[in-house]
Amino acid sequence: MIRLQDVTKVYEGGSVAVRDISLEIPKGEFVFLVGPSGSGKSTLIRLMLREESVTRGSIFVAGKDITTLPSWKVPFLRRSIGTVFQDFKLLPNKTVEENVAFALEVLGRPRSVIGPQVQQVMDLVGLSDKGARYPRQLSGGEQQRVSVARAFVNRPPIMLCDEPTGNLDPATSVGIMKLLDRINRTGTTVVMATHDHAIVDAMQRRVVQLANGSMLRDEVAGRYETAAET
Amino acid sequence: MSRAAFLLREALVNLRRNLLVVVGAILAVFISLGLAFGALAVNELVRINTLAWQEGVHIIVFLNDAGRDGVPADAHQALMAEVQTWDEVANAYYIDKTAAYEEYQQIFASDPDMLEILENPTVLPASIRIELSDIDQYQAVEFRLQQHVQLINKISSAAQEIEQISAVSGVLNLLGIGLAIVLGASAVILIANTIRLAIYARRDEVSIMKLVGASNWFIRIPFLLEGLIEGIVGAALAVFAVWVAAQNLAGAGVGIQLINLQIPGTFFLRWGVVFLLFGAAAGVLGSLLGLSRYLREADGARPAGSRRALEPV
Repeated sequence: MIRLQDVTKVYEGGSVAVRDISLEIPKGEFVFLVGPSGSGKSTLIRLMLREESVTRGSIFVAGKDITTLPSWKVPFLRRSIGTVFQDFKLLPNKTVEENVAFALEVLGRPRSVIGPQVQQVMDLVGLSDKGARYPRQLSGGEQQRVSVARAFVNRPPIMLCDEPTGNLDPATSVGIMKLLDRINRTGTTVVMATHDHAIVDAMQRRVVQLANGSMLRDEVAGRYETAAET
Repeated sequence: MSRAAFLLREALVNLRRNLLVVVGAILAVFISLGLAFGALAVNELVRINTLAWQEGVHIIVFLNDAGRDGVPADAHQALMAEVQTWDEVANAYYIDKTAAYEEYQQIFASDPDMLEILENPTVLPASIRIELSDIDQYQAVEFRLQQHVQLINKISSAAQEIEQISAVSGVLNLLGIGLAIVLGASAVILIANTIRLAIYARRDEVSIMKLVGASNWFIRIPFLLEGLIEGIVGAALAVFAVWVAAQNLAGAGVGIQLINLQIPGTFFLRWGVVFLLFGAAAGVLGSLLGLSRYLREADGARPAGSRRALEPV
C-alpha cells in the first residue's frame, strides 16, 4: 500500500529530518512510528501526504509515485488518505456534523449520500447525539473522535495519524486506540506516529523506530523499546 | 448543482461570520469607487456646461435700420444671405425689430422697471445671430462682417470667453479622469489587502480544507464569491450615493439659469454599469491576489530555486 524508497528530507537551512528511509507497508497493516520528538516521525507523515516534498527518494502510495505527482493531483491523493492530528484540526465555525460532512462536500458527493454516511460514521465513533454541537463544546477525547470520524467518513484505504493521543489522558487514549483498531480491522492501513509507550506495548503491532531521522528498528508485533533498552 | 449550492452557502456563511472584515472591504470599495464616480460626475457637469456654451450663439450682429442713413432697404436680407454662404457659419438667423422687442420683454418679464424704460418698441435694433461651426474661426467671421461698416451698428461676440472656458474645462476633464483612475486603482489594492487579511485570519481553515483533499478551486471559489459580492455591494453603494448627491445638487440648482446642474440619467446608467463591473472585477482580482500566495505555500511545494539549492546535501 505504501512504499518508501531511500527517502531523504532536508529542510531549508540544511537540517536533515529524515535520512535514507526504506519501508514497505502492506495493505491492512497497523504500523507504529516511534521515537523521540525530532526523530522524523511527523516529517515522514507529512511526506506521505505531500505536505512536504522529498529531497531524495520515492514514495509510492497505491502503486503511484507521489513525489512526482503534479500539484493539481495532490488533492486526489489526500482524498484516499484519512488524517488525524494531535491538535484535532477541526473547523471551529462548523458543527461536529458539518465538520465530518465537509470531507464529503469536498468530494462533491450529493446531499442524499452525505447525510446517511455521516450518520453511520458518527455512530461508529459514538457521537451521534452530539452532531449539532460545536467542537469547543466537546472534550478533547470527543473532538479527537470527531477528527477520526472525518478522516474515515469516505472510507479511505489509508489512515495517517500523527500523535493522535498526544493531547489526551490515558483513559481517553484507550478509547481512540480502540476506534483506530476497529477501523484497521475493516482493512484500512493505519500508520500512527506516537511516543506513547503504553499504547504501543498494549497493541502489539509492527513498530518502526526512528532516531535522528534514521530508521533504527522495524519489528513485527514489537514494543515501544527493545528488550536491550529496557 | 448541490456542489454549487454548497460553495455559495459557504461564501454567505463566511460573509456573515466575518462581518467586520466584510464591512471593511465593502467600505473600502465604497469610498474609493464613490470618490472616483463623484469625480467623473463633476467632470460630466463641467462637460455639459461647456457644451451648452459652445453650442450657443457665438456672434450677434446688431444692424442699423434699413432705409435710413444711406442703408438700402434690402440690406438686411442681402447680408443675411451672404452670411449664410460662409463656410464657418453653422447656422444664422435674423431677428427683426419686433422679435427683438418680444425677446426683450421675455428677458425682463420679471423686472417692470426695465419694461417701463423701453417705451418705444422700435428702439431696439434688428440683428443677425450666428452660430459658428468651429469656434476658433470667430476672428475671420468678425473681419468679414466689419466690411459692411455702414450697415453694422455693433458686433458682439462671446467667442473669446468661450475659448477660455474650453481650455479650463479641458484641464478639469483631465484632472477628473486622472483622479478617477488613481482612486479606482486604490480600490483594487484595498480590496486585495482586505481579502488577504480575511484569508490570513482563516489560514487554519484553508489548511484543513487542503488536508481533507479540497482542490485549490474548491477552496478559492467561496473566497472569490465573497470578493465578488463585496465588490458589487461596495460599487452599488458608491453609484447610489453619487446619484443621490447629484439629485440633491440638481434640486438645489433649479433656480440657477447660467449653470446646468442636471446630470442625465443615461450617464448614471452607463457609468453605473461600468462601475458595478469594475467593483466585481476588483473583488475577484483582489481575492485571487490574496489567495495565490497562500495556496501555493499551503501546497508544501517549495519554489524551484530553493529546492535545487538543497539537492547536493
